[in-house]
Amino acid sequence: MEALVTQIQGLSGTASDVLSLQNLLKQADDSLHAESTRLPPFLDQLDPSKHSLGYLYFLEACTAGPVTQEQASSFLLTIARFISSCVAEQIRLAPDKFICVCKRFKDQVLLLEEPLRGVAPMLTAIRKLQLSSEHLTALHPEFLLLCLLSKCYKTALSILEEDIFEVDQPRDLFLFCYYGGMISIGQKQFRKALELLHNVVTAPMSTVNAIAVEAFKKYILVSLIHHGQFPTNLPKYASSGAQRNLKNLCQPYVELASSYSNGKIADLETYVEANKDKFESDNNLGLVKQAVSSMYKRNIQRLTQTYLTLSLQDIANRVQLNSPKEAEMHVLQMIKDGEIYATINQKDGMVRFLEDPEQYKTCEMIERIDSSIQRLMTVSKKLNVMDELMSCDPLYLAKAGRERQRFDFDDFDNVPQRYNI
Amino acid sequence: MASSSSSGLTFKLHPLVIVNISDHYTRVKSQMNPPPVTSTSATVNGVEPLQQAPRVYGCVIGVQRGRTVEIFNSFELLYDPSTHSLDRPFLEKKQELYKKVFPHFYILGWYSTGSDAQESDMHIHKALMDINESPLYVLLNPTINPAQKDLPVTIYESELHVIDGIPQLIFVRSSYTIETVEAERISVDHVAHLKPSDGGSAATQLAAHLTGIHSAIKMLNSRIRVLHHHLVGMQKGDVPCENSLLRQVSSLLRRLPAIESEKFQDDFLMEYNDTLLITYLAMFTNCSSTMNELVDKFNTAYDRHSRRGGRTAFI
Repeated sequence: MEALVTQIQGLSGTASDVLSLQNLLKQADDSLHAESTRLPPFLDQLDPSKHSLGYLYFLEACTAGPVTQEQASSFLLTIARFISSCVAEQIRLAPDKFICVCKRFKDQVLLLEEPLRGVAPMLTAIRKLQLSSEHLTALHPEFLLLCLLSKCYKTALSILEEDIFEVDQPRDLFLFCYYGGMISIGQKQFRKALELLHNVVTAPMSTVNAIAVEAFKKYILVSLIHHGQFPTNLPKYASSGAQRNLKNLCQPYVELASSYSNGKIADLETYVEANKDKFESDNNLGLVKQAVSSMYKRNIQRLTQTYLTLSLQDIANRVQLNSPKEAEMHVLQMIKDGEIYATINQKDGMVRFLEDPEQYKTCEMIERIDSSIQRLMTVSKKLNVMDELMSCDPLYLAKAGRERQRFDFDDFDNVPQRYNI
Repeated sequence: MASSSSSGLTFKLHPLVIVNISDHYTRVKSQMNPPPVTSTSATVNGVEPLQQAPRVYGCVIGVQRGRTVEIFNSFELLYDPSTHSLDRPFLEKKQELYKKVFPHFYILGWYSTGSDAQESDMHIHKALMDINESPLYVLLNPTINPAQKDLPVTIYESELHVIDGIPQLIFVRSSYTIETVEAERISVDHVAHLKPSDGGSAATQLAAHLTGIHSAIKMLNSRIRVLHHHLVGMQKGDVPCENSLLRQVSSLLRRLPAIESEKFQDDFLMEYNDTLLITYLAMFTNCSSTMNELVDKFNTAYDRHSRRGGRTAFI
């Protein structure tokens, strides 16, 4: 054991040394696990910022066994210190060990019921493990889970802002988008929540999984809140399994959506009352209530398309609100959120609906459009690369060749009839 | 064939002459079909071997006012290899015709193509000396050199120099400027922007148009940069301060469209935004179509239950 420690200390200098060290450590892994109880004093001899790889192996072996309550908090401190001071390149050589350690860290944090302690270290861990900001690691969903449990949503927002292009494991993506959707709902950023939940629902899946079902329920509710309607068919890039089965599994929500589209608040509320326990068991009752209150907004928006001016009393009547005062509050809130453009004349209680004042004449608009164009160009390049990859995919070529109609023999074709690899 | 002329004459060349010479050369060259097998016999004095690049000859005419010689036009002549001279009767006939239309124009000299002036050209030059006591020799180099920035046109004068005790006429180079009339500017512009006639599709024409605009803007940018660099150097004191240059720069700047009104800003930004939006829309469409194809391929490859039974019939 001491020999191993000295080797670690000696070989942590250059990159080639570290590679040879990694081989040594892989061979010594079993012996490390066997002696896990004896290891903690050795940890002090190693410096996490210089000997990150060796420290990682030792740490992983230490935490492998069951951990008691007292040991838990000391372990938390060691792991947190390690995460903040370790070297990213060495860590990336043994990513699964690192992920293992961080997951145990999260478990212990939850055991101690202090999720807040885990948020910052987990964020640093993600940044060190990521190969680029477009890479989704297994730590992302753990981090989001901690943020959710500790209710600090703002820290999660920076992670949610990034676009993801590479994923390690599909389960990570599902969990990440689902938790991300919940966090965005908590921050009332419904557009982002809709985008994330949409990703879960339309992600490729050979069989429907539970995460997708839960996400679909929330997806229906959020799309009612944000858009005022729910598209009955999933887009064609959703997997066929999802397209057929998801709706059957979320029956009460689908019916909620259809009664929403009728526009009558009273019906909606009776329906909600009737199915209250189902919604509550899914922990979605809060969202359902928000959906019901968004119905008023939807109706007011519909009014802007028919009327130029309207009195507050009229609005209250049409939208089935109780008093003009409530109507004024709703309209004011909507103007503040930028959902409609209107002016309220308080003297005679008239509301005048206006057009979108954006004239597209300002330099800020130019910058916005320019940055959108740049983003679109990068996405387009990536899409082209993926398209090419897909065209060369043997599975695709096999199926494309098989499905062709048989034309005349002198019709030329560029896909072989039978593609043998 | 060296040094610079000391006659003190200023030469102004019109683009019409250059276009004429180049047109003459191109026509003759393309009519030599098939290209003759080159006879590699040594150049006997006075005999021009038929090379891949034929030499064309002609006369240049124009006006001489005081010390300024302005070359307006040119016409073609046949070269007679047996007498090593240009076709004299034809030249005189042409001269008469031109005199009727342009009474002020005189025969100022002659032109030819080639990379450098040669000894044999002196014969032709001397032959013309009875019409004009100091004729000009305009030489166009038809080889295309992409690295070259200037026009491949040189004007030679003849001067009497004493070489080895013998007074001889030799060619000396002269500098010239290009002078343009409005009509010439339009036609040169038109010639420069000739698009390939089979680039019929809108895409290639648009691409050619935009490329032209792009190179024009690039050139403008580099010129402004040079000027700016020079002015900065003047400010720092590296370059001696030239008041005439400064005056020219300031008059140029004052000619810029300096509309600062708000209405102009509004309209300009709105149009700019419109163009950006169109580009955005085009990119969007492009992206969506790629995405659509990708999704189709993905569904074909990986989705178990999609589209059994093949696609619909082609016809």
